[in-house]
Amino acid sequence: MAWYNWFGIFSLAICLAVCLYHVIRLIKLGMPVEYSGRSGSPVSGIVYSFTSAMNPSVKESASLNLPVYIAGIVYHLGTFIAGILFMTVIAGLSPSGYHLLFFAFFLFISALSGTGILIKRLTDKKLLYISLPDDYISNVLVTFFQASGGVFLLLPGSEPVFMISAGLMMLYLPVGKLRHAIYFFAARFHLGFFYGWRNVWPLHKQKVDERSK
Amino acid sequence: MKEANEKIRKGLEVLGSGEDSKLLSHLNACVRCGLCAKSCIYYLSMKDEKLIPASKVDIVASVYRRYFTFTGRQLPGLVKARDLDDKTVTEMVDLLFGSCTVCGRCVKHCSIGVDIEYVVRKGREMLSVMGYVPSTLQSTVRSALNTGNNMAISHGDFVDTLEWMEEELQDEVDDPEARIPMDEKGKKVMYTLNPREPKFFPISISAMAKVFYAAGESWTLSTRMYDVTNYAYFSCHPDEAAVISRRMYDEVNTLEAGMLVLAECGHGVRSNRWESPNYIKKQFGFEVLSSVELMAKYIREGRIRTDRGALKEKVTLHDPCNLVRGGGIFKDQRYILKQCAEDFVEMTPYGTDNFCCGGGGGQLAMSEYNERRMRIAEIKAEQIRKSGAKVVAAPCHNCIDQLSQINFTYKLNVKVKTLAEIVADSLII
Repeated sequence: MAWYNWFGIFSLAICLAVCLYHVIRLIKLGMPVEYSGRSGSPVSGIVYSFTSAMNPSVKESASLNLPVYIAGIVYHLGTFIAGILFMTVIAGLSPSGYHLLFFAFFLFISALSGTGILIKRLTDKKLLYISLPDDYISNVLVTFFQASGGVFLLLPGSEPVFMISAGLMMLYLPVGKLRHAIYFFAARFHLGFFYGWRNVWPLHKQKVDERSK
Repeated sequence: MKEANEKIRKGLEVLGSGEDSKLLSHLNACVRCGLCAKSCIYYLSMKDEKLIPASKVDIVASVYRRYFTFTGRQLPGLVKARDLDDKTVTEMVDLLFGSCTVCGRCVKHCSIGVDIEYVVRKGREMLSVMGYVPSTLQSTVRSALNTGNNMAISHGDFVDTLEWMEEELQDEVDDPEARIPMDEKGKKVMYTLNPREPKFFPISISAMAKVFYAAGESWTLSTRMYDVTNYAYFSCHPDEAAVISRRMYDEVNTLEAGMLVLAECGHGVRSNRWESPNYIKKQFGFEVLSSVELMAKYIREGRIRTDRGALKEKVTLHDPCNLVRGGGIFKDQRYILKQCAEDFVEMTPYGTDNFCCGGGGGQLAMSEYNERRMRIAEIKAEQIRKSGAKVVAAPCHNCIDQLSQINFTYKLNVKVKTLAEIVADSLII
């Protein structure tokens, strides 16, 4: 195995170990103790939180910013695809076949989405105000990871570049904002529990209209 | 110096208490996408980027990063980790107390699911334990702690007002036996009031008394602890909030009431129904219900009858943030209005998407931010204007105050009413 593959494995191991630490810490801290009388279903709230609550029709952050929302979805899908590609290489498998062209194309599109998001962050006054160096570094690392994955699918000789970019991204993941890969799930879980307990989620608009007639 | 360090220690203790995983999750989840901006009445009104909800989260998270994360300790510049110094505290006070009604609208629309309101409240808690609550808000809390109600109404004045309202009630229902019971033990319902009612709107006391009269309810008011509000819920001081919560809990038990019914007050309902048990770390052994839920129940069960055409003018409904987004009470106020009004229209948006009136989060008590409060209210004024309604119903005395000021400032020429007033006016007795 080449040194860059070892670098990739090493980075993955570090990344997983630190992420595991974060996950264990969250589990050990546990849920808040709730003394109020329950009015709704926390389970339904949590399910809603991860499903319908993400729907652009009920979420202004998506519906009012549809191009950015779509770019964000594509960008995240690109990360998953590049991640699978990375795991394939680590497993010693050689990606092949015509469908690779599709994945390469998708990775270029997703990297383009990432670049667009970066440009927006650099040019939008309000985003500039709230951005930290961490935001730019995270974006560049992930975008480069995706782009190098796309190039690797077309030019297998570029494997070192892809593996190094993957390794750098994984080493950075637990220390910067990329760790939202873990905390996103924890936050949505807590939010679903909170709103579910109080019967705010799931929303019951249809039922209301029927009953009020 | 020692005192300053002690304050910082107390503030940081809020972030580092490690009680559970909720705060940790929300502090680490924000990706600063900025998409929450358009959900915030402050940003929408003033277009100032520092008012974006993400910015409010970040000022708390930046302190967390500085003291509790490896990156923040070793490379603070990378993640803009901030010391909890005077500059940070000043900015925190302005952002978390002066530029947020803690309405929670941004939470529902956050792309990640960060409970921004919860983080802001934790930030307020930090400031509170450090002694940096705006003095106007703190004096309201102190009034409640020292006198038992936030407006420092004396016991004598309160009893006089109730007696006066009892006479009004007797005239209204033409029954000399109609009563506003005080401190009576063993009643099914212990009802509460917002001190604004005896102070400024006593008619709403007789309105609810009329509803109880029509329903034949077994009820009482406490003259010792009747204040439904808990302004320490806004200042976010957990010990002070617990003192106020504990008093209400004790009073229900002293009067041996079966149920605590909360007056029309958004934060009063939320704090007593949802937060108080957590403040005093005790499950309540009695039912806690808002008067909105109770009135809807009376109508559904046929205990009171209303004239559906009693209110002929077009009426719209303002959804108090703490009642709807923070408390899950969404259907009952609509049901009530449809039983009393001929022409009910929703605002756009409404329900969990409704905009705060601008008076929430303790803003009405913090006069130093009055100008901002009335500026952000323009959104609510436009919502009302576009609805075409002549009457605005709001099941919250805090909102009623703000809506009345909006009515005057933006020349809306509408009537602002509580649900109890609307129900009382349409009762068929």
